[in-house]
Amino acid sequence: MHGVKRVQYSQAALEAKKQRDHDKLKAYLALSDDVIARKSHDMSNEAFELTTRLLRMNPEFYTVWNYRRDMFIESLFPQRSPSEVNELLSDDLSLTFELLKQHPKVYGIWNHRRWCLEHIPDGPSPDDVNGYRNSTWNKELFVVEKMLDADARNFHAWNYRRYILATMPFPPPPKSELAYTTRKIEANFSNFSAWHQRSKVLTTLWETGELDRVKSIEEEFELVRNAMYTDPDDQSVWIYHAWLIGNGNYAARLQFEITSIQELLDEQPDSKWCMESLVRYKRLLIEKHAENLGDKKALVDSCLELLAKLRDIDPPRRRRYDEIAEGIRSGNEMQ
Amino acid sequence: MSGSELPKLARVAHAGHCNRCLSALPSSHIQIDASRLAIGFYCFGTLDLLGSIYEKTKEIEREGWREWLWHQQTSGIHGTGFKPSSYMTQDRPYGTDPEEYSEYDTPHLIMTYTAILSLAILRDDFEQLDRNGIVRFLQACQREDGSFTSFPNGGESDLRQVYCAFAISSMLDDWSGVDVDRAVSFIQQCSSHEGGYGQQPTGEALGGTTYCALASLYLAPSVSDLHAPNPHVTTDERRRTIRWLLQNQASSGGFSGRTNKDADACYCFWCGASLHILGVGDLVDRTAFLSYLASCQFKFGGIGKAPEDRPDPYHTYLSLAALALFPLEDADPSWKLPRLNALWNTTEDTADWIRQHVPLYTVKAQSPVRK
Repeated sequence: MHGVKRVQYSQAALEAKKQRDHDKLKAYLALSDDVIARKSHDMSNEAFELTTRLLRMNPEFYTVWNYRRDMFIESLFPQRSPSEVNELLSDDLSLTFELLKQHPKVYGIWNHRRWCLEHIPDGPSPDDVNGYRNSTWNKELFVVEKMLDADARNFHAWNYRRYILATMPFPPPPKSELAYTTRKIEANFSNFSAWHQRSKVLTTLWETGELDRVKSIEEEFELVRNAMYTDPDDQSVWIYHAWLIGNGNYAARLQFEITSIQELLDEQPDSKWCMESLVRYKRLLIEKHAENLGDKKALVDSCLELLAKLRDIDPPRRRRYDEIAEGIRSGNEMQ
Repeated sequence: MSGSELPKLARVAHAGHCNRCLSALPSSHIQIDASRLAIGFYCFGTLDLLGSIYEKTKEIEREGWREWLWHQQTSGIHGTGFKPSSYMTQDRPYGTDPEEYSEYDTPHLIMTYTAILSLAILRDDFEQLDRNGIVRFLQACQREDGSFTSFPNGGESDLRQVYCAFAISSMLDDWSGVDVDRAVSFIQQCSSHEGGYGQQPTGEALGGTTYCALASLYLAPSVSDLHAPNPHVTTDERRRTIRWLLQNQASSGGFSGRTNKDADACYCFWCGASLHILGVGDLVDRTAFLSYLASCQFKFGGIGKAPEDRPDPYHTYLSLAALALFPLEDADPSWKLPRLNALWNTTEDTADWIRQHVPLYTVKAQSPVRK
């Protein structure tokens, strides 16, 4: 008897779910039809509310975002004061923030946010034409921080962050963004997006001369060495390290890093990344600094030995390591 | 594990999954209404790869799909293209003359690409294709910086749209809608220090956009040979990209789409096809690759992004496309799939159909046989 009851309950639950699904679809389709019927001519408040409801159900409906923006321009903004326009846009920024929390990767929502930001009116007064803009744009950094707290790798959010920093009327200094990336990296070395952002910010700071490149790179190598020693298996760290090395034109730095990585390898003999990087940097030495090399053969042999070990511990890339070894043996340029 | 120890490819079940998705999708999928044409492509593409189009579908259904696809071709002030579906238009009876689109119903670049592929899979004769209109649409979508937007009046622009513009031009064999130099310059700016290409110039490298970049650069009219060095890819970029792509193959055999992310079946295609295009497909560990995708098969049909995940047409199609590019000699015959054209992302048979029917001028005809 107990068993029979259970079967009946789950059948009823299934039926209920089916019914809910059906009702939900019916409601969506009805609402969708209603909005479609109105879009060519109806710019009323009622139509506006309908688009809100529809977008909550389906924020990917990009044409409804378009319709909503048209309603702002054609009927909601005209004859309203700047303060009222600002209010309307703030409401939409709140709406999109709410939707982004459930749908963090939908392009249409991010696009609508950008549109809202770009349409903030002058105000609140003739003496303070940028007041509304400054206050809203400053909040955007906070919003995107929240999104990145929820998902540190959301590239929509990172792209948006870069857009804000490039567009906002009074952006914080690049050094403050550098500090932001430091915080994110220290929270989690695996956050490659933060390392990536750091590489972009540093490039800007070096170009403007705000940070001395040589000194800065020294500090970055220190930072990355700490990360390496803390977690030698983390791919992000090694990619960032490779970026710092760049084209390997600075022989002394190559030698220094090779020594440092070798020390780490001595402690962690199975570290694939140590071995892979050593091969990479030794090859750079062979390729770019041949004239200054004491014992080229020792370098070549060392690479071949490392590649042999890599074949064992990193089977998915076996063929790649064989190919590299072949290249080294035949003295060909790095492929 | 050798190829012969792998489970079979559940061909019938996967065809069934996509066939079902062609009829209907549940309310949990409401959001992909805006990409209906793309979903159609993944379903048709799956059936094409499995050789089941004629087995599993009736001519009346195929006729219906072709008709529905043509119903999405729409013309107007910015040229002609295909909409994602008719969800933003009031119902117009089939066979009646279409109105020009409004700013709300403009064609969509990515959907135009998937529409052409879908029609080719369904062996349409393309009599109804407005080729000149499509060329004008591509022009309308290209921006100053060389990138393309999804719609002529805006929307996001990144490498996905560039790829679709290049693929469409290549299929039409008509590049007059695209400023190739500017587009190539945009692609090159998306190259990341990691290797690979990001969505936009400052972005992290992503598997999907890396495929879009490379496929575009190899489709470009100045490049005739997949095997020769590509003039738009420097030796350094090529080396970094190969290294980055290969490092994205996890020990499970699957590929991830970005540094330090988990494997996902769709990246087996985006990253795998990229390596194939670069001529280094042999460096992929095929047995592990196949084993990963085998484990992503859902017990009731379809392929999901990771083992135990729910399937969907997107992951199903891309997994099969990836498998078509990396055949394994000693695997069970169930794994045998037709050859894939990696640049257009369709079977070679369908690609042949495209070559014969999509361009205005084909090799056989001396003068245009259609408008």
